[in-house]
Amino acid sequence: MTDMTAPAAPADAPRKGSLLEQDARTKRRNAAEKRFEVYGIIAVGIGVLALIALLTSILVNGLGAFQQTFLNVEVEFAEDRLDKNGNRDPADLAKVSTFGYKPLIEGALIATVDRLGLRPDGMSDGDIGAMVSNEAAAQLRNRVLADPDVIGTTHTVRILANARIDGYLKDRVDRASAELDGNVTPQQLELTDRLQAAGVLDKAFNWDFITAPDASENRPEASGLGVAILGSLYMMLVVLCLALPIGVAASIYLEEFAPKNRWTDLIEVNISNLAAVPSIVFGILGLAIFINFAGLPQSAPIVGGLVLTLMTLPTIIIATRASLKSVPPSIREAALGVGASKMQTVFHHVLPLAAPGILTGTIIGLAQALGETAPLLLIGMVAFVREYPDAPPEGFFDPASALPVQVYNWTQRADPAFVERASGAIIVLLIFLVAMNALAVFLRRRFERRW
Amino acid sequence: MNDMRLIDRATDMTDVKIAARGVQVFYGDTHAIKDVDVDIQDKTVTAFIGPSGCGKSTFLRCLNRMNDTIDSARVEGDIRIDGEDIYDRRVDPVQLRAKVGMVFQKPNPFPKSIYDNVAYGPKIHGLAKNRTDLDDIVERSLRRAALWDEAKDRLQEPGTGLSGGQQQRLCIARAVATEPEVLLMDEPCSALDPIATSQVEELIDELRANYSVVIVTHSMQQAARVSQKTAFFHLGNLVEYGETGQIFTNPQDSRTESYITGRIG
Amino acid sequence: MPLLWLIAIVIALAAVGAVLGRRRALASADGDARRLHSLPSYYAANVGLTVLTPALGLLALWLLIQPLYVDWRVTELIPDAAIPETSTRGLVMSDVRRVAEGLDTAIQQGAMTEDEAARLQTESTDIRERLAAVGVALGSNVRPEVLTAAQRYRDLSGTGTTLMAVAVLLAAIGGLAVSVLMTHRDFRARNTVERGIMVMLIAAASIAILTTVGIVLSMLFETANFFGQHSWTDFFFGLNWSPNFRGNSDLGIIPLLWGTLYISFIALLVAVPIGLFSAIYLSEYATRRVRSVAKPMIEILAGIPTIVYGLFALITVGPFLRDYFAQPLGLGNSGSSVMTAGLVMGIMLIPFVSSLSDDIINAVPQAMRDGSLALGATHSETIRQVVLPAALPGIVGAILLAASRAIGETMIVVLGAGAAARLDLNPFEAMTTVTVKIVSQLTGDTDFASPETLVAFALGLTLFVITLCLNVLALWIVRRYREQYE
Repeated sequence: MTDMTAPAAPADAPRKGSLLEQDARTKRRNAAEKRFEVYGIIAVGIGVLALIALLTSILVNGLGAFQQTFLNVEVEFAEDRLDKNGNRDPADLAKVSTFGYKPLIEGALIATVDRLGLRPDGMSDGDIGAMVSNEAAAQLRNRVLADPDVIGTTHTVRILANARIDGYLKDRVDRASAELDGNVTPQQLELTDRLQAAGVLDKAFNWDFITAPDASENRPEASGLGVAILGSLYMMLVVLCLALPIGVAASIYLEEFAPKNRWTDLIEVNISNLAAVPSIVFGILGLAIFINFAGLPQSAPIVGGLVLTLMTLPTIIIATRASLKSVPPSIREAALGVGASKMQTVFHHVLPLAAPGILTGTIIGLAQALGETAPLLLIGMVAFVREYPDAPPEGFFDPASALPVQVYNWTQRADPAFVERASGAIIVLLIFLVAMNALAVFLRRRFERRW
Repeated sequence: MNDMRLIDRATDMTDVKIAARGVQVFYGDTHAIKDVDVDIQDKTVTAFIGPSGCGKSTFLRCLNRMNDTIDSARVEGDIRIDGEDIYDRRVDPVQLRAKVGMVFQKPNPFPKSIYDNVAYGPKIHGLAKNRTDLDDIVERSLRRAALWDEAKDRLQEPGTGLSGGQQQRLCIARAVATEPEVLLMDEPCSALDPIATSQVEELIDELRANYSVVIVTHSMQQAARVSQKTAFFHLGNLVEYGETGQIFTNPQDSRTESYITGRIG
Repeated sequence: MPLLWLIAIVIALAAVGAVLGRRRALASADGDARRLHSLPSYYAANVGLTVLTPALGLLALWLLIQPLYVDWRVTELIPDAAIPETSTRGLVMSDVRRVAEGLDTAIQQGAMTEDEAARLQTESTDIRERLAAVGVALGSNVRPEVLTAAQRYRDLSGTGTTLMAVAVLLAAIGGLAVSVLMTHRDFRARNTVERGIMVMLIAAASIAILTTVGIVLSMLFETANFFGQHSWTDFFFGLNWSPNFRGNSDLGIIPLLWGTLYISFIALLVAVPIGLFSAIYLSEYATRRVRSVAKPMIEILAGIPTIVYGLFALITVGPFLRDYFAQPLGLGNSGSSVMTAGLVMGIMLIPFVSSLSDDIINAVPQAMRDGSLALGATHSETIRQVVLPAALPGIVGAILLAASRAIGETMIVVLGAGAAARLDLNPFEAMTTVTVKIVSQLTGDTDFASPETLVAFALGLTLFVITLCLNVLALWIVRRYREQYE
């Protein structure tokens, strides 16, 4: 230790001040410290605010979709219009198109308006009739075809008002905008107010939004999510049936049996890469392999399910491996110690203990898959589908839509009423996601085991 | 000559640097330190010994308020350095720690160059007026930590590239670079091999000239080699405190005797 | 559905076999299970698996190969001269398939007999009308070559399907016979079954590789096709993107890449500081109460599907930026813009950056922090000068992963960025990205022969290569970083 010849510490050490008072430099440094913390608070605040803004925007825009404006009018199912032969032959009844029903409804509405003396000055019959949704005629026709006995009777029926009238009740349309809009007149809005006061027109919860199929471009008031929800459900079934067993099998191999060699290394790298491949690339894969090469039908839940399975596998594998890893080696040693084979050890002891973690990971993977949109666009799920798919397994091959794709579909349409529908669909989607995640959290809390 | 040094030592020892009274430490519900009173002298090496979990490291960390960084820790009682209560609300731990340096059990150099490791403290405390001043501080600190000869040609290489003993001396250099008045060492040699240990021990003995050094150790031999005063902790109590020679040759408490003779530990 | 029936029969055979195997094993040990080499259930499983595996494997293989073989045989029937100039062989073949399927439907509905379908002639019957009557709409009148080919197609497919059923059943019965005969008390059933299960596990693990191979192959072939019809120099270096379905399109990727990178850049500009600072705040400063509320809230952002962000961009952020920034500043009138998409994508990436940074910051050992604090450094000095430099490689990795996410993101840009390919610096102008163009070229009615459609595969491959490089680099950096502190 010859280094001690070095100059000793200067006697006049710079800080000999009291600990009880902060020197200027410390004050400056503490101010910087505070600033740094404030940056952190701002960052967290922005994140939380963004979440609130996002959810508020969706809720404000979308809650209206769950309510719909209906008109209650007395319609006479006139026999001379609907069944000229009077023989109730279904084939003849089917020949009367929706055009045959339209005047019936419009006439009924006009009659109601006049009976109650609500008609604003100078409003034409045509304008009154136009307040009814185009879909109403189809609904009435379906009712007659299902039950021909109503012909010749008079019933009070609940029919959809058109999207503009509905929009007026939801503050989307007002008199000023009506002046500029070719599809609605201020007189119609005036009449709407009067009809509402008279109880003919009302706004009520709309089950059809959840159960009905999509409707065409010019009748947003009739569109619903039925086919989309069914399609998403089918796809989730396919994903669950394929991704869970394959993912668990792959994880068991990689975690419990795989030797450390090039092949398993390659698999590991592949899995972590697949987790980060853009989802649209999986869409291209689905289009090229499942549709163009294997010849599976477009727009079918089976194809969507297969694509989403491939996307979900990495998530499930990563979660499963983590929960297999958390089972302590002592359990394995105990089982091997009583003479179980390695395979028996894994299937009898390790796997059951890891099951809650696997289940949680699978649910989270499914939730991810449920919200995935981009790959489904490429495999034709954007098609306009009004028919419900059949029951599985045939239904897997029928055309269907999917919840997130339905949202995209509606955003591409011109009528502003579809914005409300798209936001409403998102609310439905988010409810499913919240439910799934809550289930995952519940399972984790309920079965979590700390070793 | 010999007499002179003895007299020197005696005068130094009257100078109390740190005075602790009724110190209690709680980790959540655990009562880790129970009512400890101790006076630590200036320019002396004080050793804290005791079986593991006896609270010696915890007490050490009270002296520069490192326990503040642990959420669940709570300190009660009174600790004064130069007569000033370090747990006073007006005291900024940042200023306190500049005055009370610390070296840890495991060498923990920053992932920076050797030079930057040593210059870090002086830079944040603004001790250097200019670049040459900083160079001087770095050289002086490395020399004082007996690392200059080994490190002078590789000042820009990462500190993590040094050997274990060199890393620990680098951490000591880093601590002395901020010109502290007290140096706390938490088992500084437990991760080192015997040769590195003896180098560090020699260093500690030399540091005594300028600092009050408090060292926690699990090795009784080490305490006997380097310290002038020794405190024996057991189950959170300070059992016995006195001259090192006296503690090891003539312990007053039966627990101290049991520990020193190896019956408990 | 005959296929389902076939599978059901095979499964039934497996079940019967399992019972037989178990019984035979027990019989060979005189009913004393202790004298068997393995548990009785393993003998049952052995027979079951030996029935199922070859039969179902053969079935899968057959289903894969038969359409290819039939196509190949039927294509021979269509002379080159029979292919109209405006069409391709592939289109004619899809006509053939449609007619064949139409005939199937007609027979199913009883509108035609099997015999009649086989002897139909274009001269004597209006096929289009007959098929329309059973609900199969054809685009044009059926030409004689197409009808002949379709009849041949049905013929071959029918024979193939029958053969398949026979072969699969034979395989199943063969497996049953062999495995039941092998069953004996000394037979090592457990080892055999476990070997079989192991093979299945390995197969499942290999699906990851198959998927990657599938991705690469599916895009490589069509990309090669595309470069056969369109010059690669124009694609990679062209400054114009204006597809024209009458041919002669400009298909330069540069404007698309520009839009992609510009939007990703803005997204990272938003996400990296916010994500990093919130990770630092939540892991180093926040009290437990604040953390337990704020952390899940930020994580919720990660669980929200991208379509939701897309809609948010379209109906809220876009109009807001247009009305309060772009128009007052005179920078444009478009709701969809680089700024809209970038901002919303940035919000989407906040939790991604923050959770990755959180992991990485926590991986920096506490000893390092203690060392700095013990020197009298403040908390923020410790973070800025010790923790962040130590975590830097990991954070760079995280940013690269976020960049790869941003580049591959689709729904936000489809709804928020616009469709016009443009090389411009104004962030309030609508621009488009690689992913938007993949969607627009591949949705709707697509004709897989034209370069305007095939370009999507080249775009996809480019996207895949870019993100793959970023991911591999990022994962490599992050892994090296983790090892440093383990």
